[in-house]
Amino acid sequence: MRVLAAAWEQIYGLLVEDGQIAIGTLIAFVATAIYAYVVGDELRNSAGWLLFTLLMALLLVNLFNTGRKAYAERTHH
Amino acid sequence: MNAAVLTLLIAAVPAFVASVVEWVEAFTIVLAVGNTRGWRSPLWGTAAAMGTLAVIVGVFGTPLIIYHEQVSQSFHIVVGVLLLLFGMRWLRKAILRFSGIIAIHDEELIYQREVAELRAAGQANRRWDNIGFWFSYKAVLLEGLEVAFIVIALGAQGGPALQAAVLGATAALLVTILLGTMLHRPLTIVPENFMKFVVGAMLTSFGIFWGAEGMEVHWPFDASSLLVILAGVCLTSWIAVRMLALIAPQGARVAARNI
Repeated sequence: MRVLAAAWEQIYGLLVEDGQIAIGTLIAFVATAIYAYVVGDELRNSAGWLLFTLLMALLLVNLFNTGRKAYAERTHH
Repeated sequence: MNAAVLTLLIAAVPAFVASVVEWVEAFTIVLAVGNTRGWRSPLWGTAAAMGTLAVIVGVFGTPLIIYHEQVSQSFHIVVGVLLLLFGMRWLRKAILRFSGIIAIHDEELIYQREVAELRAAGQANRRWDNIGFWFSYKAVLLEGLEVAFIVIALGAQGGPALQAAVLGATAALLVTILLGTMLHRPLTIVPENFMKFVVGAMLTSFGIFWGAEGMEVHWPFDASSLLVILAGVCLTSWIAVRMLALIAPQGARVAARNI
């Protein structure tokens, strides 16, 4: 049972380490899917680049917040 | 380049690089067990874990091959999301390590820690050592689960891709065993963080590419668009490292945790 629990923890940990990144990735994906569905055939091909832009923005924002938090923790101590 | 060869490389190369990182981490623990409690039980534990992993890849990989054509689009979406979740996680962690926000993974330190823990567990039984067996089994299984996940995700493009991903992971295992047998110490020579960054960037790029294809998006240069996406991911990562260097200058970085 303990091995199974550890395996489950590992699988969950594989995908979710930072909640903001995991949830943000899912939201970016769903938003892009809605965009691709709504805009129709002509603009659908731009959805790939939209997904790319959203994810890279998410990564930068997340790292910016993490960096600031780390700096604040360090200087606080 | 031939499209079929490109597809195989897309599956085999990231599977190889990612697997080297994971097998090196598993090797450190098996080495610690073997050197402190004897080799018989940890080798059996390793073999049992490899068998379990083969079953996992078989159980989840076989339907991918059989039903690939029928549910191709759904596969693209599911695999795209999984690769993105996995790739973004590795990418983020590698960037934080490059920036000195979190500590670099230190195999030597982990080895010493494992040896101390195993010595504290008492003397090993001469015939059969349960601790040695389960320690190795758990380590290889848990690290191998990441390998299995990558192999299945990259192999979701069909039979040849799955075979290429399995081949990449197996080649990585053989390289790790060969290096480990030759050196007989933790494989600190492997640039784990750089490799994790490469895999994170690749998986994120594949996730964007396949995820969008699942939404019936057609990329302008087909599979060659992957290179453009990969270049964009690398550029963003470089910007992120520069940004973090400005936010947390040298001396103010947190390097206390070893993750």
